[in-house]
Amino acid sequence: MEFTNETIDLDLLPKFEEVHFSSLHKDYVKVVYINIAIVLLIIAIGIGALIYFNEEMQQSLAYSIFGISYMVFALVLFFSSVASVKRRAYAVREKDILYKRGLLSTTTTMMPFNRIQHVAMHEGAFSRIYNLAQIQIYTAGGSTSDVKISGIEKEKAESIKELLMQKIQNQI
Amino acid sequence: MGLDFKTPQRQSVTGIIIMFADTFQGLIRALWAPILVVLFRMKSENYLLIALGFLALVVLTLVIGYLKYRNFTFFLDEEKQEFVLSKGIINKSKINIQLSKIQQVNINQSIIQKIIGVYSLDIDTAGSDKKEISIRAIDQSLALILKERLLDYGDKEEAVSEEKSKIISDNISNTKPFIKISYATLFKVGITSNYGRTIALLITFAITLYQSFKDAISTFEIDETTVDSAFEKSAGYFSVGILVAGLLFLVLLINIIRTFIKHFDFEMIKQKQSLAITSGLFAKKNTLLNPDKVQITSYSQNYFQKKLKILDMNMKQASSNEAKEEQKKSNVIEVPGCNSYERDEILKLILGKIPEKGTPIRPNFRYLISRIFSAIVFLGIIFTVLNFSEVENITFYIPLIFVYLGLVSSVIYFGFKNNRLYSNEDFVILKHGAWDVEHEIIEPYKIQAITTRQYFWHKGADVGHLTLHTAAGDVHFKFGDFTKIKQLVNYWLYQVETSKQNWM
Repeated sequence: MEFTNETIDLDLLPKFEEVHFSSLHKDYVKVVYINIAIVLLIIAIGIGALIYFNEEMQQSLAYSIFGISYMVFALVLFFSSVASVKRRAYAVREKDILYKRGLLSTTTTMMPFNRIQHVAMHEGAFSRIYNLAQIQIYTAGGSTSDVKISGIEKEKAESIKELLMQKIQNQI
Repeated sequence: MGLDFKTPQRQSVTGIIIMFADTFQGLIRALWAPILVVLFRMKSENYLLIALGFLALVVLTLVIGYLKYRNFTFFLDEEKQEFVLSKGIINKSKINIQLSKIQQVNINQSIIQKIIGVYSLDIDTAGSDKKEISIRAIDQSLALILKERLLDYGDKEEAVSEEKSKIISDNISNTKPFIKISYATLFKVGITSNYGRTIALLITFAITLYQSFKDAISTFEIDETTVDSAFEKSAGYFSVGILVAGLLFLVLLINIIRTFIKHFDFEMIKQKQSLAITSGLFAKKNTLLNPDKVQITSYSQNYFQKKLKILDMNMKQASSNEAKEEQKKSNVIEVPGCNSYERDEILKLILGKIPEKGTPIRPNFRYLISRIFSAIVFLGIIFTVLNFSEVENITFYIPLIFVYLGLVSSVIYFGFKNNRLYSNEDFVILKHGAWDVEHEIIEPYKIQAITTRQYFWHKGADVGHLTLHTAAGDVHFKFGDFTKIKQLVNYWLYQVETSKQNWM
């Protein structure tokens, strides 16, 4: 056997920052719309109940305060969620899987296949309407390093999961 | 029901009842507040309505329990060596577990399960979310067979090594200790370590004492304002000085006692493969440390300890079980007060050689900006609170601000000055801490995952954060040169992905 032990040129290593990331399925934003709508509806009901049961609050000042803050909250929630969905992306490389997300910051988590413990696939009620699924990847690094990638086409998610399981198996 | 698990199968039929009980329990837990309100508010003529509502709830939960039972299947894929579990009515989940990754299989029985005569089977991998992989209702015989099948593949090695370690621990008494810590050293450790923790403890203690004192007085109907003013008068600057001196003395005393109780008769004995550690005054604690299981090795030293030539070592082991968060601490093995020679011996034993510090990366000056900013924000919050709580003579607190500013700025400055990330082929060493300067040593192949993070306003300055996830916790390095960090990340990924070594 020929033994070599060359110095590794750090610049020649594959670069995670230059990987082409694929974004989530375009239908996923609709799922996010539905979720936002539900959250906003629940808050609206809460505010409504608060005003209905508190007679002190039945005056125009309270209405306008609640109305304006509700509108601001709704707009912020809407735009931040939609923007953050657009910023989420993942990439599967030969030996690891990368997940990028974050609105103000770009957070990239890299998980080598030979450190993955197990994989779960979840299908939410609304995601299923658009044939989407979520993949959750567990490593021994604890909950801070576990990654959930939502909004992947179901077939694709299935094949990613299949691939991961295969890679895990091959390491043994 | 056959005894092979190749085809997807459901739980015991009685599992419906367990599912029902679980759902009902969850429902009650989520809704107990509104239910109580309804019960108290309702008039007696509406009792029928409540009963009907309750009945509807029960029926609904029964249906949900049944559906949960219907949709819960599991099977063993022998070809792929996987255990596959599917569940969920509306939100569906499918979990695949590689048999070799299974660390533990537990069979438990709760009261309800006892009544029905079924068991629950929980599967534990090193990944988190223990509850995810749990079969809630299964016959005992089936559970035992399944457990055997599941463990058939993975855990053999572990069992053997555990047995071995038992034999080793029996032989401990024959060998000479490799490190033994004397009373003098323990005393030194006691007076030099854990100031922060003890002070925090004392402050909370003092506050609760003060509060309960005030409460006691108010129950005796003594005018509260006189007490308050008496407090403020007596708490002049002079008595503050005495208080601080007393506090310091108390901190030292508590630390010495704590150290003696915890580390009394500390002995470390070298075995063939591992280290056996015994210590403790009241309860002698025996720990066997397997170097392979150590994920993070760290040593720390503050100014006084440097003068006394002692340092603290910590070996953080993999915590196999996320659910037992509080147990994580017990996975840290501490060696108090060893000297640098002993440290090097231990490092050699655990890491194979004394780790050299590779090329350092220092944090950017933005580290200072962000810390100062958060310190000022904190001060601002405190002041607003004080303002609103109408504390009378706010001037009294002005000197305290200077104390705070002096303390915080030195903590920030030294924290910045000491922060470094060294890396070379074999080790990643993170140096950090303002007072207790800690070196955390990680072998790259023990990294589980890596996270990088960069705020958009740091892009121009090429500054970013780094988190290394290991099985014993995360290690952070913030405000580093992002180009260098990215290069290192690529290198570590390369190392992890080509490594054949077992990380545990």
